[in-house]
Amino acid sequence: MAAIPREQPHIRLTSTKSQHQLSQIGTYILLTLGAAIILIPLYWMIATSLKADTKLFVLPPQIIPDPVVWSNYIDVWAIQPFTGYFLNTIFVTLLAMGGEILSCALVAYGFARFRFPGRDAIFILLLSTMMLPGIITMIPSFLIWRSLGRIDTFSPLTVGALFAWGPSYIFLLRQFFMTIPREIEEAAIIDGANVIDIFWKVMLPLVKPALLAIAVLSFNGNWNNFMGPLIYLNTPAKYPVILGLYTLAGSLSQEAPKWNYMMAMTVIMSIPILLLYFRAQKYFIEGLTVGGVKG
Amino acid sequence: MLQWYLSTLLDYMLAAAGIALVMFLVYTLLPRLGVKRETATGIALIMPWLLGFAIWTAYPIIASLYYSFTDYNVFQAPRWVGLDNYVRILTQDPSFWPSIKLTLLYGAISLPLGLAGALGVAMLLARNVRGTGIWRTLYYLPAVLPGVAVVLLWQWLLGTNGLFNVTLSPIYNLLGIGRPSWFTDERFVLPGLVIMSLWGVFGSNAVIMLAGLKNIPIHLYEAVDMDGGGSWTKFRHVTLPIVSPTLFYTLILGIIAAVKTFEPGLFIKLNPRTSGTFLQVLIYSNAFAGGNSKMGYASAMSWIMLVIILVLTLLTFRSSAAFVFYEGERS
Repeated sequence: MAAIPREQPHIRLTSTKSQHQLSQIGTYILLTLGAAIILIPLYWMIATSLKADTKLFVLPPQIIPDPVVWSNYIDVWAIQPFTGYFLNTIFVTLLAMGGEILSCALVAYGFARFRFPGRDAIFILLLSTMMLPGIITMIPSFLIWRSLGRIDTFSPLTVGALFAWGPSYIFLLRQFFMTIPREIEEAAIIDGANVIDIFWKVMLPLVKPALLAIAVLSFNGNWNNFMGPLIYLNTPAKYPVILGLYTLAGSLSQEAPKWNYMMAMTVIMSIPILLLYFRAQKYFIEGLTVGGVKG
Repeated sequence: MLQWYLSTLLDYMLAAAGIALVMFLVYTLLPRLGVKRETATGIALIMPWLLGFAIWTAYPIIASLYYSFTDYNVFQAPRWVGLDNYVRILTQDPSFWPSIKLTLLYGAISLPLGLAGALGVAMLLARNVRGTGIWRTLYYLPAVLPGVAVVLLWQWLLGTNGLFNVTLSPIYNLLGIGRPSWFTDERFVLPGLVIMSLWGVFGSNAVIMLAGLKNIPIHLYEAVDMDGGGSWTKFRHVTLPIVSPTLFYTLILGIIAAVKTFEPGLFIKLNPRTSGTFLQVLIYSNAFAGGNSKMGYASAMSWIMLVIILVLTLLTFRSSAAFVFYEGERS
């Protein structure tokens, strides 16, 4: 009689242990399945970009391209002036990014550290603009730029960034500024520093992680911006890569679409973003989750 | 080429100098009017956003509302037509209702599926698996790709002879149906779009939710264990309430993103009169595409879109009391 109760806990222990192992294996199987769903299309994008024209539609499909046609990458580059497109993209992205970071940091510092009447109401107004669909302001903005004679220039794509667009960036930076102890600023004031000095030399270095998060998000947003260039640019030579890709897609023939070229260009266009992502992944995810958890 | 860059730089510098000047004036002039130094500094610092809000948000909203009551083609002054644009959109435009239907159905199908999938993945990742970082990197990957790249990739994958159909062809044969042409056959457009969007979002949403799940104190699960509750109880009474604010946040953003979908509708040539197209594409094409410049008409449409977003967001907020749990709050 006495032996049974003593054994019971032992049995239960092993069974939960093996159950645990089983569920652990199940977890990995499911996760691998999900990863396959993510990765197979991406693999197919790269594989297609290396295939010969004649091998695109063969059945069964070639899993590994044979022959491997690296020249697709060179050929697609020559179909349209992609060198120019890349320069345009880099130029616009860097200007917009720089303006966004600097102006958002100034505004966030103002909200985080200085008391003034109506501050909280204004901040709520700022947050509520996140909900506003851009399309509402798009037509009047277009008309403003038109009346300034700036259609078909890069100005509409860059100058606006100086006005601290991106309420989520301001929100993120403000959270960071608020965590910095006031004593640090007070010490600087005693040393005779003015507001600009404190902002530039004391505060900005302290919120560097947030600045990097914003830099990464802003780079991503501007690099991938599609609607802006589509509306404002007319001259093909001024296109960013994304519009080059769009016109390339439009010129695909219906009978024998050159998907190998399209995928090659897609790969080229994604490389800078992917490099940035793998290097600064932490900042991508930090910027993304801040609203979801703290908001 | 250099000249475009230089003239853009000039515009950029001028705007920056203008903003800096306004900031400086606020900073120096307000204290002379008897305003406290701290107040003046704060207002000066938020000036870039205040100016931007006035020029690029407040004025455009008012202007767009005004244009929506006019007939305006850019070349002639706006002509007041009252509610005419709205009436025509709602009663005569053959593309409007199919597009509303497509946009809303797309959101209604892809959002819950995407959120459920994301929550599932997040719960798996929260189980102390090895290499969380690597899984996270992988799952988040599609969200980093340019939207245009995702659309092109899936146009290729979901083509009649694309990888998707070829892989599934045994199933098609079993069911005795031909290979669907996802993006040209009206009946398959919506499922095709949903498949594409799920691939793009469930991973990144999972990463957001994982951050929420990590907040769950382990003792809550232990309490369920003590009470003899199973995994369903844990999910229903611990996991779900704790992630519900994150879920809610993702849902709101998802609604807005679904109504604002643009790239797929532009790349995949949908017939707006039969299968409908995305609302935003319809607005774009009325205002800018193919020599159209029906600015008044397109503005009216964008106001209808704003109202749709507001109503949906409001409904979600109203219903949120029932399913969103905030810790500081008494239930």
